[in-house]
Amino acid sequence: MTEIINWLSLQAKILFNILKFLVPAIPMTIKITLLSFFIAVSLGLFIGLARVSHKRLFSSLSKIYVDIIRGVPLLVQIFFIYFGLGKILNLDRFLAGVLAVGICYSAYLAEIFRAGISAIHRGQYEAALSLGMTPYQTMRYVIFPQSLRIIIPPTANEFIASLKDSSLVSIIGLRELTRAGREYYSQYFVDFHTWLLVGLIYLVMTLTLSRIVSWTEKKFKVIGFGMH
Amino acid sequence: MENLFIIEANELVKRFGEVLALNKVSLSVKRGEVVVIIGPSGSGKSSLLRSLNGLEKVDSGEIIIDGIKLDQGEKTIHKIREEIGMVFQQFNLFPHLSVLKNLTLAQEIVRGRKKELSEKVAEELLDKVGLSEKTDVFPAQLSGGQQQRVAIARSLAMNPKIMFFDEPTSALDPEMIGEVLEVMKKLAKEGMTMLVVTHEMGFAKEVADRIIFMDQGRIVDEGSTDYILNQSKNPRTKEFLSKVL
Repeated sequence: MTEIINWLSLQAKILFNILKFLVPAIPMTIKITLLSFFIAVSLGLFIGLARVSHKRLFSSLSKIYVDIIRGVPLLVQIFFIYFGLGKILNLDRFLAGVLAVGICYSAYLAEIFRAGISAIHRGQYEAALSLGMTPYQTMRYVIFPQSLRIIIPPTANEFIASLKDSSLVSIIGLRELTRAGREYYSQYFVDFHTWLLVGLIYLVMTLTLSRIVSWTEKKFKVIGFGMH
Repeated sequence: MENLFIIEANELVKRFGEVLALNKVSLSVKRGEVVVIIGPSGSGKSSLLRSLNGLEKVDSGEIIIDGIKLDQGEKTIHKIREEIGMVFQQFNLFPHLSVLKNLTLAQEIVRGRKKELSEKVAEELLDKVGLSEKTDVFPAQLSGGQQQRVAIARSLAMNPKIMFFDEPTSALDPEMIGEVLEVMKKLAKEGMTMLVVTHEMGFAKEVADRIIFMDQGRIVDEGSTDYILNQSKNPRTKEFLSKVL
């Protein structure tokens, strides 16, 4: 009996030590995720609007962008931006990591935005234009607000995915959660407990986010909307 | 001096791929005139309306609305669209906005009216179409006939000089057609210039100054309501009327 208790308290001690080591790295993971997602949304919106543009040049250029970015693994993009472009543009690890994740996700978001905008019926454009609105006003006041309902759920999923993918920037030495896990392991050679905890911390963050997302979705439900 | 004709269209040609939707269509409409356009589906009626307010770009021909030439430049298109209200078969209300907001949005961002004024205008017009108690509901909570009346009020809120109606009652259940036609008749009697694509011959008889019959992208017959309905010898007109009357 005492053996079991001793064993359990040892386990708890190990886990607690690892946790103490990991927790300070969590803010970096959050920082990378938030910043890269901010880049992804801004860039993705721009690319998404270009995708639905009537101007051939815009729509084909943005299509090429999306195809390239989606066709190359994020890890390779991180290497390319940090080791390739980083040397030329003098990017530090943080900026390179954030840019790589942001650019990668901008392509996925652009497709989500494009789909959301295309889903709105043509009659909505025609009604808005017939009232004298400019194409910009039509997009801003009529089309985009309606697209939001279609856009938000998959965008939230991408946000959660980008939180997980932020672990990839550990490879260029950014000390976020996964990197901290590797450092702990290489100092103390405790593999099972370390990766169990790293995994659990990600899980807590992603589950919390999904909860927030479904709560917001309910909150923003407008009466009768989407029944059209 | 103001031009007698508020709408002038000369030799409009519009192609959709192989199909010739408008085949050298010319048309002049006087101020205050109510013109009803009839014809089989695919005859170019809607294309004509949509070309006149720039929703479709014509391949050739000239359009002058209230003295402004529609030269397809962005600025003139918006200017012209401000003067022309358009009512669609599918209503096309903005589903994410309340009825009141549907009426005030364009007033505020296009006409630059203050919120109080645009709401006042909106409330007066909703009263006119008999929906003053529906300001705060959303379009999906209204019947088809009510939605179409809101759509008419939304167009009128911009104080257009001309109203286009593109089969405004075709998507409505029969019992709702009357309420929409009543609003349109009221407008016609107030002297609004109207171009109406419809199959409602009762409406045409009552308020139209002139009827245009289109077939295969051309105006094949036109004249006063009495002429088209009773006197025209044109075999295509007679055949069409025998089906809809």
